[in-house]
Amino acid sequence: APAVLAQAPIVLKMQSSWPSSDIFQEMAQQYVDRVQEMSGGRLQIDLLPAGAVVGAFQVQDAAHDGIIDAAHTVPVYWYGKNKAASLFGTGPVFGGDANQMIAWLYHGGGYDFYRELTQDVLGLNIVGFLSFGMPAQPLGWFKDEITDASQVSGLKYRTVGLAADLFQAMGASVAQLPGGEIVPAMERGVIDAFEFNNPTSDMRFGAQDVAKNYMLASYHQASESFEYIFNKDKFESLDPDLQAILRYGVEAAHLANFAYAMDQYSSDLQKLQTENGVNVKRTPDSVLQAQLEAWDQIMPPLMEDEFFAKVVDSQKKWVERVVFYSLQNSPDYRMAYNHYFPGKL
Amino acid sequence: MTDPQIAILMLGLFIVVIMLGFPIAFTLMAMGIGFGYYAYFDADRMRHLFDNRIFDLFVNQTYSVMANDVLTAIPLFLFMGYIVERANIVDRLFETLSIATRRMPGSMAVAALITCALFATATGIVGAVVTLMGLLALPAMLKARYDERFASGVICAGGTLGILIPPSIMLIVYAAASGVSIVRLYAGALLPGFLLAGMYLVYIIGRAMLQPSLAPRPEEPEEPIPTGKLAWMLLTSFFPLAILILSVLGAILFGLATPSEAASIGALGGLVLAIAYRALTWKRLQESVYLTVRTTAMVCWLFVGSWTFSSVFSYLGGEHIVRDFVMGLDMTPLQFLILAQIIIFLLGWPLEWSEIIIIFVPIFLPLLPLFDIDPLFFGILIALNLQTSFLTPPMAMSAYYLKGIAPPHVRLTQIFAGSLPYVFMVFVTMVMLYVFPQIAYYLPQLFYGR
Amino acid sequence: MESYIRFADSLSAWFGKVFGWCVMVMTFGVGYEVFVRYVLNAPTPWAFDLSYMMYGTMFMMAGAYTLSRDGHVRGDFVYRLWSPRTQAKVELVLYFIFFFPGVLALVFAGWRYIGRSWRYLEVSVMSPANIPIYQFKTVIVAAGILLVIQGIAQVFRCIITIRTGVWPKPAEDVEELEAILQKEGAAALRHGSEAVDVVTPKGQSR
Ligand code: NA
Ligand code: NA
Repeated sequence: APAVLAQAPIVLKMQSSWPSSDIFQEMAQQYVDRVQEMSGGRLQIDLLPAGAVVGAFQVQDAAHDGIIDAAHTVPVYWYGKNKAASLFGTGPVFGGDANQMIAWLYHGGGYDFYRELTQDVLGLNIVGFLSFGMPAQPLGWFKDEITDASQVSGLKYRTVGLAADLFQAMGASVAQLPGGEIVPAMERGVIDAFEFNNPTSDMRFGAQDVAKNYMLASYHQASESFEYIFNKDKFESLDPDLQAILRYGVEAAHLANFAYAMDQYSSDLQKLQTENGVNVKRTPDSVLQAQLEAWDQIMPPLMEDEFFAKVVDSQKKWVERVVFYSLQNSPDYRMAYNHYFPGKL
Repeated sequence: MTDPQIAILMLGLFIVVIMLGFPIAFTLMAMGIGFGYYAYFDADRMRHLFDNRIFDLFVNQTYSVMANDVLTAIPLFLFMGYIVERANIVDRLFETLSIATRRMPGSMAVAALITCALFATATGIVGAVVTLMGLLALPAMLKARYDERFASGVICAGGTLGILIPPSIMLIVYAAASGVSIVRLYAGALLPGFLLAGMYLVYIIGRAMLQPSLAPRPEEPEEPIPTGKLAWMLLTSFFPLAILILSVLGAILFGLATPSEAASIGALGGLVLAIAYRALTWKRLQESVYLTVRTTAMVCWLFVGSWTFSSVFSYLGGEHIVRDFVMGLDMTPLQFLILAQIIIFLLGWPLEWSEIIIIFVPIFLPLLPLFDIDPLFFGILIALNLQTSFLTPPMAMSAYYLKGIAPPHVRLTQIFAGSLPYVFMVFVTMVMLYVFPQIAYYLPQLFYGR
Repeated sequence: MESYIRFADSLSAWFGKVFGWCVMVMTFGVGYEVFVRYVLNAPTPWAFDLSYMMYGTMFMMAGAYTLSRDGHVRGDFVYRLWSPRTQAKVELVLYFIFFFPGVLALVFAGWRYIGRSWRYLEVSVMSPANIPIYQFKTVIVAAGILLVIQGIAQVFRCIITIRTGVWPKPAEDVEELEAILQKEGAAALRHGSEAVDVVTPKGQSR
């Protein structure tokens, strides 16, 4: 709206892809709180839930057009424009987790590719940052416990992004729905199994009411992060210090989100087991192996795209070095856990 | 003025401007674009007068309506309705049911009510049901010297039941507006719908027993209809329609199919039915298609307008100010519920259900969590409440349809008077639902465990 | 003006009616999905996208057709009390301030919106089958153009009404059953190809 006083804070309208009840909205709020405080009140972010101005899947278009100034979302929601979007969170897993892939954004050339994809390849008028290396996303919720890869075949399964191609390669019939549609879709029989993201989000939208078997560990989305998008004109119109606050605020939110996730995800997983009678199991290695083979199967046609191949090569090169260090260096945490909490795993 | 105050102005202005009689879909669109132009006005970023981002928002919201997977059920259910409507069925049905109920008090009114309820449920087209029954059942009842008020009330109220009893398009529209699962809404509306229909039935029989002059017993036919023949008549009129409705509903409730899928099965079933009754001609099929596309466009363009309107409303912060205002009133949940329902009832005088649900209900929805009211429960109360919008003047569509085809001596005031007891019964049902919410929750809990 | 109105009406009706058949495509497409899912246990990866695309296309393309037949609902409890001349004067003004800005936005802002989609040959994110959606988004502009053309005809209708004091009759078309019955009464039940036939069971007197 026009005519604001010189002293008044600059208000950014930020819409997320999440309903107001989701923990992701609280994580977005953690970012907003930090930005507002660091700017001494000069920046104010009006955080809106999905659907307030535009639909959950429309936020990138909306930020490009300047209908909203900013968005809190994930790249898989716009991978219909270019499959390479999936490489910024939901691509093939070469061994690196989400935090190692965020390190790739900073030091392996990832941010250059991200900028090239959004601004040059797609011609979008946006600036974006990624943060919060999400814990690997569970295989999901099923009517029967999954003990063998063949059970995935024939399921009507909800997931998003390249994971859709992956599960299709494993024989499932895949529907990609926004989070808020999952429970109704289970009720409507549109799907008979699904994954969303984490124990807290899953529990909050009522996953446990429509399925009772929760399978943890999967390679389908093992390195996703949040995406903060800003309308480029709006972003560049801000004073340099405010731009810096928006950029580095994303880094601050990374840790804040992680700490909050560790606390919430674990206690909600416990609740699911004890209060909701959910059968929580680790996905068998045979299914994980089948997922890696399915990745091998879907990659060749995708690699025909020059940009896609370029990004994958860069990621592989990064993982080969960084994860070698990381895995060789890290002690076996399972061993220690078993030592102090025998029989729990 | 602050932005939220502008949002309130936008809402108030819309309520005034709606009276100019311009198509509402475009009025909403205009209000959204006009106020959005203000909201997005930014002299630094606009290269010319039309370089305003509101136009992009409008396009974006239009696409969201186009890609909405709940609304896909609307054309399919409409198509099913138009096909069934043209399948020569209502007349057989009323005839058969009149014979089957012959021994009951108020038998023809009972037959008319059941015919209306069943036919309205299958087609969902209130106007067609009331008009058809006004031509078939009303003269028959008047000939049997039924009271004009009594006879016309049954038809008006019975025909309106179709928007409540699932599969109902009104509930799909509510689901799209509120985000409540359409399947749970259908399950939830089933018992309240039957309860209301049952109450109508008890009222008809009760009144006919207490005041036999309202509904004289028809004369015995010269030769009684043999049971076997009656059974055959029922088998060819009542059951096909009942089975069609039950299979559509069953498929949805048991999770075998989405509402859109069930609706397409229903449309296919309607086609089969029309073929079986030798009523399907190329011309009728064409007509059904054309009517379907026109009605779908009417409903869905309302969504295009309304989603643009509400985007701008919430961009300006209108939701916050409504919320703060309502919180400031310091109401109990019951007071809020009553106030909301009174407003919706009053809106039902001048407006029709589609406008009320698409435009006004979204204003109440964000307030529900404040009072811990379940949007499913709220939706079913609204669905009941909006039964009255067809029966209350000045826009009592059921009464107008009936008046349009009734014999001239049946006066509009008689039709209103005849409908009044049903409006009262709707209120009684709403109170019962409030006191015993299990009426709404029993089936959703049974089918979906919550 | 009359000939332009006839042209616009028939153009809108042609598009509206042709795209109306999308409902049959939906009926059979979605029916097929249910069949292959339960009988062959092999759901299609396209039925979901097909159904919203058919629905979205049909209602958008029929917007002008519905307008030409005065089928968009009005809050007309005051409007209907006015004389046709007053109605037309008010409507004429409102077409310019309410109607044209929006439908022109569909064309021009819609052009930008679909241009992007064509540029990256956007596919649906709802299915892994890579179903294109740029052609579906294009419907926005097509529908906008039809509405502009029809809107001009509606303006002409208003002008004629202001001159003559009578609304020009809309073209003959299929009507809702209640509208037919309201006009022709019970007689329509017994003739007229558009109405239902009345079957009187044998042996029954009515
Ligand atoms: Na996921
Ligand atoms: Na009314």
